[in-house]
Amino acid sequence: MGMKFLFIFLPYLSFGIFLGGVLYRFWRWARTPVPLRIVTTPAPKTRLGVAWRIAGDVLWFPSLFKGDKPLWVAGLLFHLFLWLVLLRHLRYFLYPVPGWVAAVQTPGLYAGYLIPLPLIFLFARRLLAERILYISILGDYFALFLLLTLTINGILLEAFFRAYIVDVKALILGLVHFQPIVPDVHWLFTLHFLLAMVLLIYFPFGKLMHSGGIFLSPARNQRANFEQSFTNPWDYPVAYNRENLFPPEKYAQDLAESEGGK
Amino acid sequence: MHVPLPVPGLKIGASIHQRCYPAKTKDMIKIDLPRTRVQDWKETMLKKMAEVLDKYRSVRLYLDICVKCGACADKCPFFLGTGDPKNMPVARADLLRKVYKRYFTLGGKVWGRANEAEELNEAVLAEWFTYFYQCSECRRCSVFCPYGIDTAEITIAAREIMAAAGIATKYVTEVVAKVYDTGNNLGIWAPAWKDNCTFLEEDLKEIEGVDIKFPVDAVGAEILLVPPSADNFANTDTMIGYAKMFHAAGISWTTSTYCNEGGNFGLFLDYANLKKVNNRILEAARQLKVKKVYWGE
Repeated sequence: MGMKFLFIFLPYLSFGIFLGGVLYRFWRWARTPVPLRIVTTPAPKTRLGVAWRIAGDVLWFPSLFKGDKPLWVAGLLFHLFLWLVLLRHLRYFLYPVPGWVAAVQTPGLYAGYLIPLPLIFLFARRLLAERILYISILGDYFALFLLLTLTINGILLEAFFRAYIVDVKALILGLVHFQPIVPDVHWLFTLHFLLAMVLLIYFPFGKLMHSGGIFLSPARNQRANFEQSFTNPWDYPVAYNRENLFPPEKYAQDLAESEGGK
Repeated sequence: MHVPLPVPGLKIGASIHQRCYPAKTKDMIKIDLPRTRVQDWKETMLKKMAEVLDKYRSVRLYLDICVKCGACADKCPFFLGTGDPKNMPVARADLLRKVYKRYFTLGGKVWGRANEAEELNEAVLAEWFTYFYQCSECRRCSVFCPYGIDTAEITIAAREIMAAAGIATKYVTEVVAKVYDTGNNLGIWAPAWKDNCTFLEEDLKEIEGVDIKFPVDAVGAEILLVPPSADNFANTDTMIGYAKMFHAAGISWTTSTYCNEGGNFGLFLDYANLKKVNNRILEAARQLKVKKVYWGE
């Protein structure tokens, strides 16, 4: 019963939560208007320029490069390794395995071995750097802990306690084709699988949504086309509370007096 | 040569005592805000917060996606100056974020304090009033944030939320009220403005031997000049510079006694007052039938 829950029910549930949660977050952000032009300058003037700027923010983190070099190195390496590892995992989902997924297996393998290094750096930084320790909350440690356990677990599976690949692939393809099965695998694999589900469930709720939010950040996705007018969709007329202000008649009188005195 | 400022170590509570004077009733009336803090301030603020979250994507998104990487932490001039950890942009935003989490997110409702969620109470409000007024909206943090998170947006939102409940500072409200009374931040009355202009004309005649006018409220001029009001009062060399430049270029210009202020303190208060102060430029330009507005601060 427990295994059925873990290998059949939980995967669909967690994927549903992941997909629904991410879409909900995007929908919530996208439907919230952007009333003012608040782009951080210097900013591109064209849409193509904006695409390039966002691509940079997603792929090589220029702001972090300007602001914090060690963090830039660790962040960049972690994200690069993560992409490689994720792409490598595609081989469990696809049959037959396409050539490019096969090509990414070796780089993905090395990335998998190395990925704990930047994670450990990021973890240590939170504990050792005074400022970062002050701002860190449980969610920050949880995300790092989860990723670290998941990756170390993956390395153990790869290097020492190899899961029988045919069983693993049967499990995943079974899920993909809605014919789920309960496999007979090492408990370390079961743990790996469970942690991945936890990650999927956690993803839409916490800070991991930075991965999607960056695309909608008004300071980055607006253009510096200041010569064009910008309309605030919820703008409303404003009026003075005139009876409480200095009376205009008195104002005119003061002016007349000053001119009379000349 | 570029010499980076030394980054101070954390001095907890270093600037908690540097708190602004609260707004005066006489000013609050003029700028259409509750006279003093309203009885149900908490409900009013939460209601306003819900409104702000639905009106500004920046606020909602920036509260949601911060990963607390700390890249902004040593970039804020207020932090570099005081060493108070709550002046790190991320920690400043956290003051709003913890209340947002408590009332507007599932994670905050379920996990509570473990997920940094916190009730809006007297102590939190005191922190808001202190630290949201120790931000100059310079947006330096946004330059270094990997997602462009702009703490100025958060600060502006928090001040707007407080203003709705009748909580604001004396400095800002007094200045905005002065704009509505006199047209400028310094409270220079129309006769004084005119008088200063005449005085500068005489000065200029003495120095240069040329008749250069400082037109005031001249209908039909080509350009309406909206300078910072200090140019008419303290930085008069700048005002003389404008006049010389227009004279040399042969352009007809004027200042307005209805709107003679390039700065807008509404930015530090709320959207309605921001717009009211800005609208004066349009109103003055239409009144004086000018073709262009030159406006700077």
